[in-house]
Amino acid sequence: MKNTLRQVFHSSKFVAGFIIFVAILLLMIIYPLINPGNPLQQIGVGTFAKPGTYVSLYDATKAPVSTFRLPDAAEKRLGTSLSEEDKAAMVEWFEAVGADISDLDTNDTEKMLEMWDEYYDPSAKPKGMIRAKILYYGRLDKSLKEMGSGDGDSISIAEPNEEGVLEETKKILDTDYVNTKEVANVKTLPLGTDNFGRDVLKELVSATGTSIRIGLIAGIVATLIGLTLGLLAGYVGGFLDDIIMFVTNIFTVIPGFVLLILISYSIGQEQRGAAVVAIVIGFTSWTWTARSVRSQVISLRNRDHVNLSKLSGHSLVRIVLTDILPYIASYVVMAFILQVSSGILSEAQLSLLGLGPKTTEVPTLGLMMNWAMLYSAHTNGSWWAYFPVILTITLISFSLNLMNTGLDQVFNPTLRD
Amino acid sequence: MGKAMLEVKNLKTKYITRFHEDVYAVDGVSFTIEEGKSLGIAGESGCGKSTLALSMMGYYFAPLHYISGDIIIDGKNISGMDPDTVRKTILGTEIAYIPQAAMNALNPTQKIIRFIEDVVHAHDPKKDKKEIREMAEKRFAELGLPAEALNKHAVELSGGMKQRTVIAVSTILNPKVLIADEPSSALDVTSQKMVIKMMRELMEKGYIKSMLFITHELPLLYNVTDDIMVMYAGQLVEKGSAEQMVFDPVHPYSHGLMKSILVPEEGTRGQKLTAIPGAPPNLKRPPDGCRFAARCKYAKPECRYSAIPEREFEENRMYRCLMGVDELREVYGNE
Amino acid sequence: MKGYRKYFGKKLLWFVITFIVAVILNFILPRLMPADPVASITGKLAGGNSDASAVAEIYKRYQKEFGTDLPMIQQFFRFCKNAIHGNFGLSFSQYPRSVSNIIASSIGWTIALQLPAILVGWLLGNILGALAAYIRKGYDKVLLPVALFLGNVPAFGMAVIMLVIFGVYLKIAPISGGYAFDMIPHLSWNFIKSVISHYQLPFWSIVIISIGGQAVGMRSMSIYELNADYVKYSRFLGIKDRKIVGYVFRNAMLPQVTGLAMSIGTMIGGALVAEIIFSYPGLGSTMYSAVTSADYPLISATTLIITIMVLIMTFLLDIIYGFIDPRVKAAQFE
Repeated sequence: MKNTLRQVFHSSKFVAGFIIFVAILLLMIIYPLINPGNPLQQIGVGTFAKPGTYVSLYDATKAPVSTFRLPDAAEKRLGTSLSEEDKAAMVEWFEAVGADISDLDTNDTEKMLEMWDEYYDPSAKPKGMIRAKILYYGRLDKSLKEMGSGDGDSISIAEPNEEGVLEETKKILDTDYVNTKEVANVKTLPLGTDNFGRDVLKELVSATGTSIRIGLIAGIVATLIGLTLGLLAGYVGGFLDDIIMFVTNIFTVIPGFVLLILISYSIGQEQRGAAVVAIVIGFTSWTWTARSVRSQVISLRNRDHVNLSKLSGHSLVRIVLTDILPYIASYVVMAFILQVSSGILSEAQLSLLGLGPKTTEVPTLGLMMNWAMLYSAHTNGSWWAYFPVILTITLISFSLNLMNTGLDQVFNPTLRD
Repeated sequence: MGKAMLEVKNLKTKYITRFHEDVYAVDGVSFTIEEGKSLGIAGESGCGKSTLALSMMGYYFAPLHYISGDIIIDGKNISGMDPDTVRKTILGTEIAYIPQAAMNALNPTQKIIRFIEDVVHAHDPKKDKKEIREMAEKRFAELGLPAEALNKHAVELSGGMKQRTVIAVSTILNPKVLIADEPSSALDVTSQKMVIKMMRELMEKGYIKSMLFITHELPLLYNVTDDIMVMYAGQLVEKGSAEQMVFDPVHPYSHGLMKSILVPEEGTRGQKLTAIPGAPPNLKRPPDGCRFAARCKYAKPECRYSAIPEREFEENRMYRCLMGVDELREVYGNE
Repeated sequence: MKGYRKYFGKKLLWFVITFIVAVILNFILPRLMPADPVASITGKLAGGNSDASAVAEIYKRYQKEFGTDLPMIQQFFRFCKNAIHGNFGLSFSQYPRSVSNIIASSIGWTIALQLPAILVGWLLGNILGALAAYIRKGYDKVLLPVALFLGNVPAFGMAVIMLVIFGVYLKIAPISGGYAFDMIPHLSWNFIKSVISHYQLPFWSIVIISIGGQAVGMRSMSIYELNADYVKYSRFLGIKDRKIVGYVFRNAMLPQVTGLAMSIGTMIGGALVAEIIFSYPGLGSTMYSAVTSADYPLISATTLIITIMVLIMTFLLDIIYGFIDPRVKAAQFE
């Protein structure tokens, strides 16, 4: 046993898979400690807030002010406030006055402004340009000059006084800065929010935990059923074997996901908790285990050590536990690992069909994916709502399969490199 | 003395393991088989006898590698030849091989006749298919196989038929040397005898000129081969005629191996060899002195560090031991 | 030939038994639903109608239409009889279209998409797996982890990633539907062009998903065969390596046919979900809309059709396999 374990941990594939899986598990355990709270709580009002740090504007105005004169502040300000239309209009002007725009990058604000200074002439009247457009450029130039000037700009904060008349209470200069540590409310959302305004990272960590649990339950159910039926069919044989194999063959051919869909649908949305879904998945995926366990047991059944036990009058349970199970243990473990990974995948697919666990209790990876798709995260550029989910499912299943390949190479040496 | 069909001179080959270590599996082996003669090689598993069989083919692929020595088949030295020439002109035509597990030696999804065509075409691409079929049918008939077997796949043949088919395919081009590597270990006793009989017949009919038999079942060798060699840890330890080796083994290792088959008669024939305690040395770092010393009852301190040469004595006999022949015989006599 | 007929007969018998069980399950499972489906449908269709007697009237009508007022066993025979005539009743969500009409318009899309995609993926996967096994060094070290990783990207994940990269960012191909939404299916160059461009993303994402798993399987199979005794024996008879590699790949490839038969159910399952992502007008999308609108006759019919498709595929592959692999032939045909 110890020796086998040592061998297993010498397999680089197994170790790589094991490390990835344990890392995911650790993250799942540690993150909620750092960031506790209900993962399904809707913290944002809109949908799909971008990943980043959010600073309360209200609190920021109340925080103590420091003054900085950063050399590139004005330019950065311009960069974020210049709209795409303004940029396009500037490029249009350059074209109209015959400037060379072949290697112009519209995101390079500094270069754009330089060119603007060089080519804009308020008195110019490019051919074919209507008067309204020329006036528009005049306004654009003015606002560019103002924003670019860098000092003297300010925003006033006004609050109504006792008579209900707005009264300026504070003036915010463009050189005023506040330390984020002194702002009462700052929220970092590494993966933004989802369509319901929930913290995606928190939701993802919780969903990963649920999905792994679903996989484990499904794997345990499938392995137990498969192992029991396989042992009975293989060891007892005869009529029992015929019956079990009849059932197993039928359920091998009828696609498991069809059964899964039918059963899940029959159970109804209300009854479908995560555990129920997991058990249903387990119930529809035991056939491979049963078949392989059976064939392994048949090859073991007539080995000397088993016959010896039989002659010694040991009970069936004891023979199975001491003379059969240890020999197929490695195989059963491998089958279990595969069942776990396919259980996680099945839950995701089921949820995408709208047949996943009920949506009010816990998030699962499949439900998160389903929500993201329902709200078109993939077409509106909200990658943070679906990509981390896909990556997580892939990593879990990749790590489990790596472990499995590693085990396979240890126990079936012909596959060894 | 007849014409030498196979001469092996100081052959050395090694395995290179996954961890880039060298394992010297055949370490300086020399012997000769004459026309019409058969030679048996005996030894424990792992002593290098199967590797010796592979090494004699002159066709190496990883992890087996050639180091040095000569392999001369009917006067032609093949050890320096380029592998493709060996493949084309030597394998199957000059020297052929019957593998350990005949059960799995045939490609399960190919018809036997297609395989025979591939074998013949590998040496003579222009040979007519009709001619090949005639050749194959003739050889099959001689081995008691029905011609219909040619149109079957290996999986459709019974165990005994597979064994005979492998013999037929291996000898289809009438090789001068036929190497059989434990051809019978997977068969029951009746089939074993039949296989041996067929191989002898093939030699008597002159299809093959000499045979080399590799086995760990010593009783089998006594019935089949003219000469016997005993191999230990990559080297030959003793060589002689079957009679001499069985009734008068000289080397302590052969003595230990042969003791149990002194009387090759019904009743004692199947008797298990008395096990020699201990395990063969690690061939990654072979010992300087006698390789058997660690397990030898009669070993002296000098056995462990002085190199032991092969020593000729009597006619056609060799052994590798520090002790003299008479000394050894006397020790055995006193037991 | 006699052996073959027996083999065929045995397989056919299995096919029929499995089919019957599938139909029974398909009939029973939705009826095990704790809530009365007819009641829920009535509730939905009756909408704001508060007149109790009118609702009861509608309920009665539906009960009759579905035959839920009959005993279970009678319902079953009625279900079978209708199903044989291709009559699966009316759809709720797309009333008054019949279920068979909806299925007829989507099944073609699914077959045209999935069959070629799964076969191409299977073929490419096997070639890559064989290469990985033969070349071993380097390529194997790089290809295998990549293939393993790709093989573990779930079908829907691959579909979404392809959609975003090629559809949304690179705008190479349209991202949803089976043809441009402003077109009416008819035979014209424009329509065919539109169909082909819409075909690209779903097709390639299914292909890529299929490649991963197949490549890994083929590689282990090939390595196993490369170590087989017949390889060594053939070498020592002087047969060229290239020819031997041919033997090996043929032998490794054949069990992959069984692999395909075994996994075709799972593959179609994944591909159906991929269809949903691309809103491809096939059975997957049909099933999705049926589930979301609780269209229970439609769900029942789609799952039955998918089961039948999988059964036929498995049956055909089994037959082909028995025919091309002498190992199976020897074991089964006597």
